[in-house]
Amino acid sequence: MKWRGYAYALGATAACTLAGLALGTWLELVNIAMVYLLGVVLVALYGGRGAVVAASILNIAAYNFFFVPPRGTFHVDDPQYLVTFVMMLAVGLIVSWLTETVRARAQAQADLAIQAETERIRNALLSSISHDLRTPLAVISGASSSLAEGGERLAAPERAALAQSIFRESQEMSELIAKVLQMTRLESGGLTLERDWCSIGEIGACVLRRLKPRLADHLVMVDLPADLPLARVDGALIEQALANLLENAARHTPPRTLIRLRAHVDGAEMVVSVEDFGPGLPEGSLERLFDKFHPGRRGGVGLGLAICRAIVALHGGRIWAERLPGVGTAFRFSLALETPPEMPAEALAKEMR
Amino acid sequence: MTHATILVVEDEPDIRRFLRSSLGAEGYRVVESPNGRRGTLDAGMHKPDLAIVDLGLPDFDGVEVIRHIREWSPMPILVLSARIQERSKVEALDAGADDYVTKPFGVGELLARVRAALRHAARPASGTELNFGEARINFEKRQALRDGAAVHLTPIEFRLLACLARHLGMVVTHRQLLTEVWGPTHAADTHYLRVYMKQLREKLEADPVQPKHLLTETGVGYRLAD
Repeated sequence: MKWRGYAYALGATAACTLAGLALGTWLELVNIAMVYLLGVVLVALYGGRGAVVAASILNIAAYNFFFVPPRGTFHVDDPQYLVTFVMMLAVGLIVSWLTETVRARAQAQADLAIQAETERIRNALLSSISHDLRTPLAVISGASSSLAEGGERLAAPERAALAQSIFRESQEMSELIAKVLQMTRLESGGLTLERDWCSIGEIGACVLRRLKPRLADHLVMVDLPADLPLARVDGALIEQALANLLENAARHTPPRTLIRLRAHVDGAEMVVSVEDFGPGLPEGSLERLFDKFHPGRRGGVGLGLAICRAIVALHGGRIWAERLPGVGTAFRFSLALETPPEMPAEALAKEMR
Repeated sequence: MTHATILVVEDEPDIRRFLRSSLGAEGYRVVESPNGRRGTLDAGMHKPDLAIVDLGLPDFDGVEVIRHIREWSPMPILVLSARIQERSKVEALDAGADDYVTKPFGVGELLARVRAALRHAARPASGTELNFGEARINFEKRQALRDGAAVHLTPIEFRLLACLARHLGMVVTHRQLLTEVWGPTHAADTHYLRVYMKQLREKLEADPVQPKHLLTETGVGYRLAD
């Protein structure tokens, strides 16, 4: 950056000198000085203060050498020209100072805008989280207090139902808090990938087993071909991304909707998809679905997809949503494929024994 | 086995309370320790049949408690870990813990793990026979059947299956499996496991894509469930 300013200074001097020499036959000496002044002003606009001083000195030297009589020397006959030199330096410095002030003001304004945006996001987070926590908390405190106070007077099935709803709502809360924590960790950059050779088929099966209760009302179809190559990913994070996509599909489609988990190889990458054959997305940007606190189609903090995007980005992959032809939505992400290491000969040799 | 003694090393009094009441309701005797130091002492003093150790203890790491206990006792150890502690969970398992439950958990899940661990301690897998789903395996005769039909298993597949069978119902980490089956120099070659587990599932599971017995614990290891 600094050197670029000095290069501008040198360039400006050369250009002004050439222009002066070309036009010298019909330009007054004082107007040639103006050409040099223009050069200094331009440098002041694009270079730093040092560049302005350099440009002024170079221009004055060149002007003096090429144009001020006696030509071809640095000697000055008329002391008037000394005033020209001082003026040129002063104008350059003033323009440079003005430019810097304006620039600093613009930067401050931009910082303010970023601060305001951060503040807005933080407020959105707080209001959205507190809303999402308040409902389960109300259920938990209500149900647990009826259990504590009602005691034996409540019928056994009634007690069981109350206890069940406390359990369910507290699970919900804990999920939400885990998501907020995870998002914070992903954003603070405090999370390093633990890449290892993983089978997307295994991760998919693991997620489906874990989410079985949540997906119980939906029809789940699995299309994970047996010959999928291994991927070098952080298994726990990819599992989480998949879980979020599946939960998202279950949350936003009516019961009995078909949800399909699939993975396929496309060139040098693997594409993992969660497709639902639900009512589809309303009009609007598909990209914004992955924004934090995107209100979602039906409540929820809307962190799930933002976490997916952060996880996939950490892996150097892409994530996107598509409207499926006819009806439904697909969420897909891609992971780069690498060639897995060979199974070494001794592993195979043991095999032969 | 209903009168087994269970040591609970957990600093949160409320969590200890619900563990005490739900384990007590199942007929277990419960010894409680509020920190790692006491836990290590109580383990020696009360000689429990099983220990439940929280990984986030105030004085020293739950992993340390596990190492201390493992110096003299093979008692089954379950760890309670928060979701954020992925890595210390694997560390705890490699240090000798037998299984884990992630907080927050339902009592049903915890009791199932406790029962599996106690059952396993009471009669360690004999190492000769293993039955799960439609699979019947005899390790001595090196025979495997699925739905009554003979299935060919390679020596490595047998060894891998035997290792999982020795910890029937419990999780076995990648490192443990690789070390036992391929040797310590291959402790990080997870891709071997991916390949061989897939082969085992294809040979022994009714639905290899959504297995019911040869289960993956992503980022941790594998579990054989009967």
